[in-house]
Amino acid sequence: MNKLWIETANLCRHYKRGTSTVKAVDGVDLQIYQSEYLAIVGSSGSGKSTILNMLAGLDTPSDGTVHVDGTNLFKMSRKEIASYRADKIGMVFQSFNLIPHHTALYNVEMALFFDDTPKDERIAKATAMLESLGLGERLDHKPSDLSGGEQQRVAVARALVKNPTVLFADEPTGNLDQENTNQIAKLLKDLNKKGITIVIVTHDLPFAKENADRIIRMDYGKIVEVIKNGGSNGSA
Amino acid sequence: MDLRDMLHISIGNLWRMKLRTFLTASGVVIAIAAFVAMLSFGAGMQENVAEQFNKLGLFNTMIVYEKRTESDNERRHRNQDDEENIEEDSTSVNDSLVVVDMIIKPLDNEALKLLSKIRGVSLAYPFESFAISVTIDDSTYETDAQALPLDAYKTKLYSELSYGEHLKSDSSKEILLTDQFIKDFNIEFPDSLIGRQLIISAKASSVDSGLYAIVKSDSFNIIDKVKELKFDSLLNKDYVSTVLKTEANDAIGRFVDGYMNRNEIVSDTLIIVGILDNGTGRRTSSKQILIPMSIAEKFNSKGAGRGMMDMFSMVSGGQIDLFNQGSESKSFSKITLNIEQGFLHKNIADSVKALGYRPFSYAQEFEEIQQIFLYFDMGLGLIGLIALITASLGIVNTMVMSIIERKREIGILKSLGADETYIKFLFLTESGMIGTIGASAGIVFGWLISRLGSFIVRSFMEKEGVDAIELFTMPIWLVLTAFAIGLTVALAAGYFPASKAAKVDPVEALRSD
Ligand SMILES: Nc1ncnc2c1ncn2[C@@H]1O[C@H](COP(=O)(O)OP(=O)(O)OP(=O)(O)O)[C@@H](O)[C@H]1O
Ligand SMILES: [Mg+2]
Repeated sequence: MNKLWIETANLCRHYKRGTSTVKAVDGVDLQIYQSEYLAIVGSSGSGKSTILNMLAGLDTPSDGTVHVDGTNLFKMSRKEIASYRADKIGMVFQSFNLIPHHTALYNVEMALFFDDTPKDERIAKATAMLESLGLGERLDHKPSDLSGGEQQRVAVARALVKNPTVLFADEPTGNLDQENTNQIAKLLKDLNKKGITIVIVTHDLPFAKENADRIIRMDYGKIVEVIKNGGSNGSA
Repeated sequence: MDLRDMLHISIGNLWRMKLRTFLTASGVVIAIAAFVAMLSFGAGMQENVAEQFNKLGLFNTMIVYEKRTESDNERRHRNQDDEENIEEDSTSVNDSLVVVDMIIKPLDNEALKLLSKIRGVSLAYPFESFAISVTIDDSTYETDAQALPLDAYKTKLYSELSYGEHLKSDSSKEILLTDQFIKDFNIEFPDSLIGRQLIISAKASSVDSGLYAIVKSDSFNIIDKVKELKFDSLLNKDYVSTVLKTEANDAIGRFVDGYMNRNEIVSDTLIIVGILDNGTGRRTSSKQILIPMSIAEKFNSKGAGRGMMDMFSMVSGGQIDLFNQGSESKSFSKITLNIEQGFLHKNIADSVKALGYRPFSYAQEFEEIQQIFLYFDMGLGLIGLIALITASLGIVNTMVMSIIERKREIGILKSLGADETYIKFLFLTESGMIGTIGASAGIVFGWLISRLGSFIVRSFMEKEGVDAIELFTMPIWLVLTAFAIGLTVALAAGYFPASKAAKVDPVEALRSD
């Protein structure tokens, strides 16, 4: 087994709304290993996106810890967390989150703003990334000119262009047809083979079973099932 | 990501919101333009006053007057008159007809000696002027002559010549005309006058002729006067004072009559050697023509050239002793001191006061003028600043709007690894760009306004026949200050919104649709 990369302990994200408390994530203990391909499945509202945000240091847990490579993420300064995101993490959001007034190329190029890559290299890398995702003809298009699937791929390109150590992808194939889904699946598989850790949230259990090393099923903020791909099942 | 990238992004964002950027920057443009135009006026005024003062040598000149026993109010009034009418001495003498002053110490030859001995005074000379007629060829001009010692021509006040040269000695039969003279009498080719002959002449009235008329005149018989008196009423105080008043008025009338009509003509022929540059307009204290001291003495000893009112006021002021018209008691209306470089005007003024005279210094005056300019500038700057504050509220508004609209973008940037400093800097760059654009355009507009103002003022001055003075200048400090203020205010206005932007919660920002 590979080196332990991310480890959470009793990770909680509770939202207090008046008298009631929404337990979006509730006491999750999770280990993610280097170069692992992990899939998180679960019904809508079970806390999948929330976990991803906390692993990326975007959201702050109400309880529990996240350790990345042995360091407590939320003991870091905000600047350190920012550079952790800049250097190590690629994120694909469920709702793409492209900037509408910028071109596809610029949206991808932006991911390289924070690691001292010079402008021409940024453009070269972004162009190559978009071309590899079949968007070579779409560089100068604004997101509104692109189909949902194309926007999805721009979002994936943005996450991958900086060669992250870990890729967090929230429903990266949610809007894609079978052909594009297969294309993304292959891309992720190739990246994973190159050693990139992949954490993917998906509704598509067959997709997960086909690609992931390990599948985690969540319900009401808790891990309810861990499926080791290759048949070995276990409960949390 | 370097500053160039950052500027590129900012420009892109501002360009996308062209109209909003334009409107926001307009506020800054207006404020800076107002600020620049107004301060340019202030700076121009100050520069020019200093330049004029310096050019005319007024910084090393002090005028000494007699001290009079007046109430403070009257003195203040007189001070103002003197400063405005240095060259129009006759008016200020006329004033003394109204205000009956007691002179404590006369400005006589003794005073001249004492004043010239004050440390730092390189030259002291009296101001003497005469009303005379000047005849060149067939034309005769009524004007004023002034006598100056030769050394006075070495001072800045009188050293500039438009044509020709200075008088050779205090006793030469030469004369200097002035630009003022040329201008007043519309003489076409002033340089052709050099070397030409000219006759000056004056009616010499003596005090004696006036006094004689009081006692004996054609329409006056002392016996008749005595007959008119009502002797039994002489005990009545009112009657006595009425009689005395009528008699006194009568006597004055007869004095004037005698003074005016019983006189002789004094004249002399002189050669025009030069034309003094005393500028146009009322800028120097020199009279229209300048004659050597010896000529002046000659005219003076015959009582020539003093206006009747002039003479009368001197008698009433005690400046002329009616019964002893000797040269020792002759007193001057003012004495000019030329001050050596490096001596404090205040110290010299104190010495003059200690001698019992009243000093007037342009340098000290200039300090006060500067003080006024300082307040003036501050006032103008304040108006510009208020406009700038209004503009800065516009910037705050624009930036807050921009941040609300770009909340998602901020969230994305943060998820991509932007830290708070970056986000803050990004928005500060944008407001800084607005400030830069606004300030630059504002400076240009301010300059245009100042050119327009200058054009209007100049053409007005020229129409009035005054030397056009540049009242608007745009020194580099003003440009830099205006730019720095525009930029600083824009950055300050952008700081609060930028800090707010830096604190945006990325999760919330990314969830919002
Ligand atoms: N700011 C918030 N305030 C209150 N409740 C919240 C907030 N953010 C998320 N939640 C709740 O937390 C729960 C988990 O949300 P999350 O987005 O993680 O679900 P998810 O598993 O990603 O669902 P989906 O599959 O639909 O994307 C949901 O019930 C959601 O309503
Ligand atoms: Mg989700």
